[in-house]
Amino acid sequence: MMATHEAALRRHELAHVPEATGLWSWITTVDHKRIGILYGASALFFLFVGGLEALLIRTQLLRPNLSVVSAETYNALFTMHGTTMIFLAVMPLNAAFFNYMVPLMIGARDVAFPRLNALSYWIFLFGAIFLNVSWLVGAPPDIGWFGYANLTTRPFSPGPSVDFWMLSLQILGASSIIAGVNFIVTILNMRAPGMTLMRMPLFVWMTLVVQFLIVLAFPPITVGLIFLMFDRFFGAHFYDVAAGGDLHLWQHLFWIFGHPEVYILILPAFGIVSEVLPTFSRKPLFGAPVVIYSGVLIGFFGFGVWSHHMFAAGMGPVADAFFSIATMLIAIPTGVKIFNWLATMWGGTIRPSVAFHYAAGLVALFTIGGLSGVMHASPPVDLQQTDSYFVVAHMHYVLIGGSLFGLFGGLYYWWPKMTGRMLDERLGRLQFWILALAFNVTFFPQHFLGALGMPRRIYTYHAGAGWNLWNFVSSVGAYGIGLGALLFAVLAVRSLRSGPRAPADPWDGRTLEWRTSSPPPPHDFDEIPPVYSRDTFWREKYGDGQGRKPAPRPPAPGPHGIHLPAPSFWPIVIALGIAVAAAGALTSLAVVVIGAAVTVVGSFAFALEHHRNPAHAHQEGGLGVDHRKLAMWLFLGSECFLFGTLIATYMAYRGRSVVGPHPHEILNIPLTTASTFVLLMSSLLMVLALAAVQRGDHAQSRLWLAGTAFFGLGFLGFQAWEFVHFVHDGLTLQTNLFGSTFYTLTGFHGGHVALGVTWLLTLLVLDLRGRLGTQDAIKVEVAGLYWHFVDVVWIVIFTLVYLIP
Amino acid sequence: MPGGRAALAAVAALAGGCAWDGPMSTLVARSDLARAILHVYGIITWVTAVIGVLVFVLLGVILVRFRARPGAPLPRQIRGHTLMELGWTIVPALVLLVIAIPTIQIIFRTQTAAAPRGALEVTVRAYQWWWEFRYPGLEVVTANELVLPAGRTVALRLEGPDVLHSFWVPQLGGKRDVVPGRLNRIVLTPEQPGDYWGQCAEFCGASHANMGLRVMVRPPAEFERWVAAQKAAPGEPSGAAAEGKAVFARSACVGCHTIQGVSAGVLGPNLTHFGSRTMVAAGMWPNTPENVAAWVKDPQRLKPGVKMPDLGLTEEQAKAVAAYLVSLK
Repeated sequence: MMATHEAALRRHELAHVPEATGLWSWITTVDHKRIGILYGASALFFLFVGGLEALLIRTQLLRPNLSVVSAETYNALFTMHGTTMIFLAVMPLNAAFFNYMVPLMIGARDVAFPRLNALSYWIFLFGAIFLNVSWLVGAPPDIGWFGYANLTTRPFSPGPSVDFWMLSLQILGASSIIAGVNFIVTILNMRAPGMTLMRMPLFVWMTLVVQFLIVLAFPPITVGLIFLMFDRFFGAHFYDVAAGGDLHLWQHLFWIFGHPEVYILILPAFGIVSEVLPTFSRKPLFGAPVVIYSGVLIGFFGFGVWSHHMFAAGMGPVADAFFSIATMLIAIPTGVKIFNWLATMWGGTIRPSVAFHYAAGLVALFTIGGLSGVMHASPPVDLQQTDSYFVVAHMHYVLIGGSLFGLFGGLYYWWPKMTGRMLDERLGRLQFWILALAFNVTFFPQHFLGALGMPRRIYTYHAGAGWNLWNFVSSVGAYGIGLGALLFAVLAVRSLRSGPRAPADPWDGRTLEWRTSSPPPPHDFDEIPPVYSRDTFWREKYGDGQGRKPAPRPPAPGPHGIHLPAPSFWPIVIALGIAVAAAGALTSLAVVVIGAAVTVVGSFAFALEHHRNPAHAHQEGGLGVDHRKLAMWLFLGSECFLFGTLIATYMAYRGRSVVGPHPHEILNIPLTTASTFVLLMSSLLMVLALAAVQRGDHAQSRLWLAGTAFFGLGFLGFQAWEFVHFVHDGLTLQTNLFGSTFYTLTGFHGGHVALGVTWLLTLLVLDLRGRLGTQDAIKVEVAGLYWHFVDVVWIVIFTLVYLIP
Repeated sequence: MPGGRAALAAVAALAGGCAWDGPMSTLVARSDLARAILHVYGIITWVTAVIGVLVFVLLGVILVRFRARPGAPLPRQIRGHTLMELGWTIVPALVLLVIAIPTIQIIFRTQTAAAPRGALEVTVRAYQWWWEFRYPGLEVVTANELVLPAGRTVALRLEGPDVLHSFWVPQLGGKRDVVPGRLNRIVLTPEQPGDYWGQCAEFCGASHANMGLRVMVRPPAEFERWVAAQKAAPGEPSGAAAEGKAVFARSACVGCHTIQGVSAGVLGPNLTHFGSRTMVAAGMWPNTPENVAAWVKDPQRLKPGVKMPDLGLTEEQAKAVAAYLVSLK
């Protein structure tokens, strides 16, 4: 850890850069550590909100036939409890650690897109607030966290409660996808020299898998929510049985998201445990490659098992058998992880810190939840267990015993790094035992309640059903969980006020975050640390298996010196615009317009804020690819799932309309062929435009950019003409399923083209003003990628919608 | 079934010998379908319990044995062991086969495409928040209490006129969703006469908790008598009941409820033989004149969200209507 003279000098300089303080500095921060703390604080707040909801639920069920709350309030409580815990507590708590720890663990100074990172947070926060405003206006969602259609449609849920839920879920989804792209680029492109993929710490690996799951799993639910929104706001028929709609559609779309979501919630905890157990056993993770591959496999299989949530829905024996086997397969990589963790501890020198308690607690409790999950994998058994308290027990063992125990482990483990203060280890141990005991008292009896046939989501029950004892026990346990959570809050406040100062490396850690001060300086590392292996910091301290220490390496200088991103207030402006638009959807169109205008203005300002800043010109990363280009490819991957879902729905609903007009009566194929040709030609011009920008040939670049945009506008003109014509012929979004699916699919594509045209025109204006130099070619290239993708999608739509009869 | 009883015993042992034969217990099987399920349930419970105990014992041993002692040297930095890791990949896969094979067998055995010949067909229509049972071959319509003959296979056709529900009578088998726009089926043979509790298992709105049902399995001869009684017109009421009939006939009741010879409403349960049922308002209370009177007087308060409006009946009118309804055997 010898610092060179140069590094020491630099440290001296940096020590004189005071860190900004005050509210404004937090609002405009783009520092991944501060954003991590914002995520963490928000998540803990919502953890308490969701916990309070849970305590009200358990109070109502303490005895049969109680009326502590009304049926309607109870239904809202369990809906909001589930939605809050998943989207506002566990996911952002995960995000807190992604934000704070991932750059530190890969030896980076920030994430790839610091301002996008802030944008993710503010969108999340406003989405969370928007959802909870529903309580204040007396219309909390009351349809269950998976909001099965058609209970969510206007005829069965007339008030604004479902609107709050579906809008906030879309807002939260946008936040997650933006963050997902950001973190994948960060992890792939910003690792310190020497950190190969297989040398990445496990937490980073699990983060990477989770971000891929987020980027690919959120589009299907987003589409499902958009369908719901169109049904509720515009009278479409996606979930309208009378018009031929299929209620399994929502269930499929929801669980294609919902099952990967389970892994989105649990894999970060697995990552934390894979850091904590080796550190406190003083041994490397046993079979780390296998633990990595099993995490990747879990993520991969996670997309192929969604229908095990639907065994009671009546999919038929073949589908049931397929999804049953696929689900059982997931148990294998999950079991592998458990055994590798046990083997990690075996033969170690275990220092039972509180973090270790939680990690070992996860191994035990997740095993219970995993095994009850294997029981549900068998459809016949699942038919007795699903939608009963057995499933409630299962999911809480997985999400509290799994996710939350992992996250508490992470909190105790990383708290000193994040706050610079130690937590009380002695009282922390008491806190662990209260929580662990109370958790088991609450949820183990729920297995019995499920076996005794108690359905979930009932606000009251018969005294004669045989459920009185276990409900009483479970409710008593719940208050114990509340006590444990409160004790943590006390410990946290005490530590922040008067905890002992934390050294840089309090646990004798193995990974890079322990190599910098606690808390780290704004630039994370004075010098980018060298990387020798997965436990690179441990190896620096103790050497490899034979005790051979690596030769000190000269610090790898950052390619552009230490450049800290400038604060920006545009992220919060954009997020505010989105929230205002959502609020407008429930009140008046004028408010929607204002919100949309703020979002658009904010987006332009955001995009152009650093347009000519030389520090932003080169963003090439470790993969040899520009951050922005990599991000666009990832975003397009997400878009594939979005359009895939839209197209699959169109195909599934083809021919199910109960009234005309039908496609063959109305589609004008010759005309659309012409417009398709125009759009494809625009791709050619886009290629020419990029080449011209790269050459610095402004005359040509202006011509071809204008040409591409003009052809795009031409395509949009055709589409507008087509839509007007169809409406004239009696086909609207409200007419039939064909109208609903056709306008939604082609309209979404048209929206993408319109966005692309706007983008191209922006570039054109920059070019005309002489502000698009050769160094900006990357921006044109990224816009071009988007443009080509949108064109390719049209070929698919044109073929499937227009050409195949 | 040894597997099923073993599962029951295992769970019972865990809980210190509580009552596992509650009216909704999934561990008591009273039909062929429920027995088949309990068979797999038993196998899986044993397999998972053994694995769970194994992991817990291992973890316990590790936590005791490898706790750091003062002055302990750095442990050997073992990075993995390919053979062992292969082992704990392959062995669980083999164990899963033990679960998968009976699972697949039972799936295909219990989800038959068509109802077997001679099965009693019943159409189940699930409404917010009550159940209608139609016996197409017998021309009988009843609500909330499904009467079945013991020993005869029944084919339930599940139809949903409003939102999703799920038909679940645990002792007779697993649940199956009622999906509007789709036809789901349950085929089972109840084996023992008895009254079996059921409840809607898919959240369906405000009174989801108040959507109970009963399945009354009766010896075949008794079932035949029940069918005959259901097909007969209800007897003419007298006294307070006659007065109740008059109230019923001139109030809004007739808009939603059918009583043969009196009214023809179809939005609510058919009440022609209301008095023959044991419970009122979809399993909420025993069918007594007092409970019925309270119910017809104050439905909005007693069953949240219920479609039945408050009719503004006086105490006397409510009592009379209750007397009438209970008289409809």
